[in-house]
Amino acid sequence: MTKTTQTGSDVIVIGAGLAGLTAAVHAVQTGATVRLIAQGWGQQIVTPGWISVCDRAKDDVIAELRGYAALHPAHPYALAGDEGMIDCLERFRAITKAIGVPYGACVKAGHNLRLTTLLGAIQTPLLAPASMVSGDLTGVTGEILLVSFTGWRDFYPALAASNLAKQGITARAVLVDAPGAPQAWDLWPVELARRFDDPALRQRVIDQLRPHVQNAAKIGFPAVVGLEQHVEALADCTQQLERPCFEIATLPPSVPGTRLSNRLRRWLLRQRARVQIGHPVVHGIVENRRCVGVDVGALGHTNPFYADQFILATGGLYNGGIQSDESGRLWEPIFDLPVKGPGGTGREKWYHANLLVHRGHAVHRHTGLRVNTRMQPLDADGAPVLDNVYAAGHLLTGFNPLTDGCAEGIALATALKAVQVALALEAQKSY
Amino acid sequence: MTPQTVDVLVIGGGATGAAALYDLARRGVRALLVEQNDFTTGTSGRYHGLLHSGGRYAVRDPETAQECIAENTILRRITPFAIEDTGGLFVATLDDPADFPAQWVTGCAAAGIPTEQLTPEQARAQEPALTPNITAVYRVPDASVDSFDLIHGFIAAARTYGCKTLIYHRVTQLIHEGDTIVGARLEDTRTGATRIIHAACILNAAGPWVSVIAGLAGIAVEVKFDRGAMIAMNMRWVNTIVNRLRPAADGDILVPVGAVCVLGTTSVMTDHPDDYRIEPWEVSKILNEAEAVVPGIRYGRALRAWAGVRPLYESPAAHHNDTAGRAVMRTFSVLDHAALHGVRGLVTVVGGKLTTCRLMAEQTVDVVCQQIGVTAPCTTAREVLPGATTRYHRLDQRLHRLEHGETPGELICECEMVTRPQIEQAIAAYGDQPVALDDLRRDLRIGMGPCQGGFCSYRAAAILQEVKGHSALETNRAFAAFVRERYQGVRPLLWGHQLRQFYLDELIYRRTLGLDWLTGDYDPHENVYAEGDHD
Ligand SMILES: Cc1cc2nc3c(=O)[nH]c(=O)nc-3n(C[C@H](O)[C@H](O)[C@H](O)COP(=O)(O)OP(=O)(O)OC[C@H]3O[C@@H](n4cnc5c(N)ncnc54)[C@H](O)[C@@H]3O)c2cc1C
Ligand SMILES: Cc1cc2nc3c(=O)[nH]c(=O)nc-3n(C[C@H](O)[C@H](O)[C@H](O)COP(=O)(O)OP(=O)(O)OC[C@H]3O[C@@H](n4cnc5c(N)ncnc54)[C@H](O)[C@@H]3O)c2cc1C
Repeated sequence: MTKTTQTGSDVIVIGAGLAGLTAAVHAVQTGATVRLIAQGWGQQIVTPGWISVCDRAKDDVIAELRGYAALHPAHPYALAGDEGMIDCLERFRAITKAIGVPYGACVKAGHNLRLTTLLGAIQTPLLAPASMVSGDLTGVTGEILLVSFTGWRDFYPALAASNLAKQGITARAVLVDAPGAPQAWDLWPVELARRFDDPALRQRVIDQLRPHVQNAAKIGFPAVVGLEQHVEALADCTQQLERPCFEIATLPPSVPGTRLSNRLRRWLLRQRARVQIGHPVVHGIVENRRCVGVDVGALGHTNPFYADQFILATGGLYNGGIQSDESGRLWEPIFDLPVKGPGGTGREKWYHANLLVHRGHAVHRHTGLRVNTRMQPLDADGAPVLDNVYAAGHLLTGFNPLTDGCAEGIALATALKAVQVALALEAQKSY
Repeated sequence: MTPQTVDVLVIGGGATGAAALYDLARRGVRALLVEQNDFTTGTSGRYHGLLHSGGRYAVRDPETAQECIAENTILRRITPFAIEDTGGLFVATLDDPADFPAQWVTGCAAAGIPTEQLTPEQARAQEPALTPNITAVYRVPDASVDSFDLIHGFIAAARTYGCKTLIYHRVTQLIHEGDTIVGARLEDTRTGATRIIHAACILNAAGPWVSVIAGLAGIAVEVKFDRGAMIAMNMRWVNTIVNRLRPAADGDILVPVGAVCVLGTTSVMTDHPDDYRIEPWEVSKILNEAEAVVPGIRYGRALRAWAGVRPLYESPAAHHNDTAGRAVMRTFSVLDHAALHGVRGLVTVVGGKLTTCRLMAEQTVDVVCQQIGVTAPCTTAREVLPGATTRYHRLDQRLHRLEHGETPGELICECEMVTRPQIEQAIAAYGDQPVALDDLRRDLRIGMGPCQGGFCSYRAAAILQEVKGHSALETNRAFAAFVRERYQGVRPLLWGHQLRQFYLDELIYRRTLGLDWLTGDYDPHENVYAEGDHD
């Protein structure tokens, strides 16, 4: 089947976002040989790092989601099916625990977390890095201490405290000197996080904070508490300050997302998966409705890589999985798969006049690939276009990742479904 | 409040009003300038950025061409801090009428505009991005002019002579005594408070709104409104101003300004002085025309689009019936309402170019001085503006200062390299006056680079709160107002790269920060899926 044994694998996953990375993990776990190819890291390196499954759910998240999916059969959650929903979350918690970046959930089982943002708004994802979960505001009555660093441009805790106060949460702001060398004008979150890895530098922050702890029930830091040693770093703070310490998502780049990406990549490499990040797939090689391989860009030429199954997790409009131009054309560049858009002529329907419009912009809600319950991209008549290409994540149409609060859950659920279908097919074929 | 008395009240904080204030100041007149928003928020902040050599008007409008070259020379001398001497090229391509360059050269010679013919190879050696399809190319003394710096320069210079300004105050009424205008009622546009200013004469430099002001005196001034759109591309595709060598049409000019290249413009007749719409065809047209001169540019990253309105006036005497848009001359008119309408105490200036603002000011102030009995002559062309800072904005200079530790403090706006102390200083300069983030943008250029505020608007909003002690809700709303304003200029350009950039910005606002929950505009517990505000 494969053209050369050297470059052939069972599965090629295209994309290193949440969808692509978790698809590769699942595929590896079933024993398949996997190659992951991505132009760059996915959105997790700029996102808050939590997992939004259905942010608006007030009670049991999965129950609400099932109800919603039943009413909206074309929604990606409905297509992925609900067994997979719980399964993908459990698998995600298991793998993140195994690689040392554990994700946790609300103590109130099945409920969304309540996490403060830098601005003092409350976001409600279902899962988050354990370092954020300790900041869950569910049922919290005591005072929260919010910590930032003098002369650091990315967190202004007084503003967060004044916004939290409006929502009935008492918070107090404190500024201490940043660990390490004097303030640089462009200190990035990732650089600060590296400094927190060093116990001596960290100690200076802790010592400065001691007198400020007072009645605080919890202590919130921007999400820069350690990069490689983050579990130890946060535990150290918590132990010495004798209060639960937690992290608050920062502006990009995302330290929690960087921790997750680095460790997933290392895990995949240890499992003998091939991981090529920094290489665009420029073209799919298709014969008789089957994809046999992909051409991958290298300096001035392309290299073909072959496989039996392909998972396309190229991330939609943001990461280049779908391209757009001034005339309003939308296209999928690797296989030229049919793309559903917001309709209308040109770009007239893409954006609402008000940036922060409640429902978000049509271009993000509608642009994407239509798939069936097997995650196969469909043509205008609803028939699969290719037999062995499965799409997952942000690339799919039918939800708005900016407003619906479900994009990460969809990435996990559809990636799992795509792998399950692809590998079940593979098993059948070999008989 | 007791009425205040000045010699002359200038209405309008654009280039013309600012130049007029400076002119009055030098003639020893006590003048006050009033502007309804901030300085440069009218046409002068929504224009193309070209200090015309006059070449564009050499064939059709020789009078404007002469005015432009004369004033171009003067402004280079008196306001060097606002001008980057890029030089200009007029380029004819295979698609342009072959007989035009000869007419144009004759027109330039007649108007006194120096031209130098280059070979296409020479032109492409200077500007490698130019099309190979050049049939004729000439060098002219165009330049790029920063209207923010120009206007702030005139204002600062006028202040050194004791003249005053009042921003965020709108003239809502003119006060008559018989046939004479003796003052105006102003409304503070932020608090609603009113005050009265008495003046011996009022100089109406309200740009496209001149007829509104004249209307307050019961005088009809017929102005036509001609809207034009511009697009900033995210790098300097050319370092020289490039004009199309053909009869003036849409999308003829590329102007390098700071770190960007501004393409434009269009000409659309409209009924309103504040119609800033940009229609999709205008975006396509501008990109297509630029593509013909600089191949590949339409696939570059378009950062921001804006539109401005040209007030076109033709005196009733010289009326040809249905002239519109580019066919109306770009020269200006000074309307002495005492002579024309028997109303003393009001003089209007309308039309013209930013390039000719000093001349417009001179001729208008001449009439004003005649009415108030001042005989001092205009001296504004003589010397470099006093008190003007050398604020000419160059990104590489800002980077140099940062890297050499000359501007301490954290970098708040990465795209335009603005630090926290600079923001604090700019806020302090407003004293106890209210400050909007958009004011800081005009002062420092925060939020004007490639990311259009994605990262710096949160930081700047928080700093503003710290300094001013605003409430949380006020701060959230100021933040939201700023990002909405930034969005307006990006919305026509959301495809490809800029769409991706704005996806990230929107995610930061909505998800990382949760701004949309905190502006009080809607209930955070409402169902996101609810119908209602549709797509
Ligand atoms: C700042 C921010 C905050 C967010 N907050 C939330 C939130 O709170 N809640 C929520 O639900 N969602 C949120 N999202 C959205 C959500 O994170 C994404 O929708 C989700 O992570 C998408 O994952 P993905 O794997 O489908 O795509 P992506 O993460 O976009 O990954 C796509 C991958 O494909 C690769 N790729 C693309 N084209 C090619 C090619 N030709 N060849 C090779 N590789 C290619 C890219 O390099 C990348 O690795 C946020 C996003 C951002 C940016
Ligand atoms: C699309 C376009 C491109 C252009 N490109 C160029 C170019 O490249 N080079 C060039 O030289 N010229 C150019 N121009 C022309 C140039 O921009 C204008 O001639 C110049 O800016 C006019 O300045 P102004 O001060 O007369 O008017 P404005 O800048 O409009 O100032 C008038 C001011 O009056 C204020 N005002 C109005 N009503 C009231 C009131 N009731 N009370 C208080 N204040 C009031 C307004 O807020 C406004 O700030 C262009 C014009 C347009 C539209």
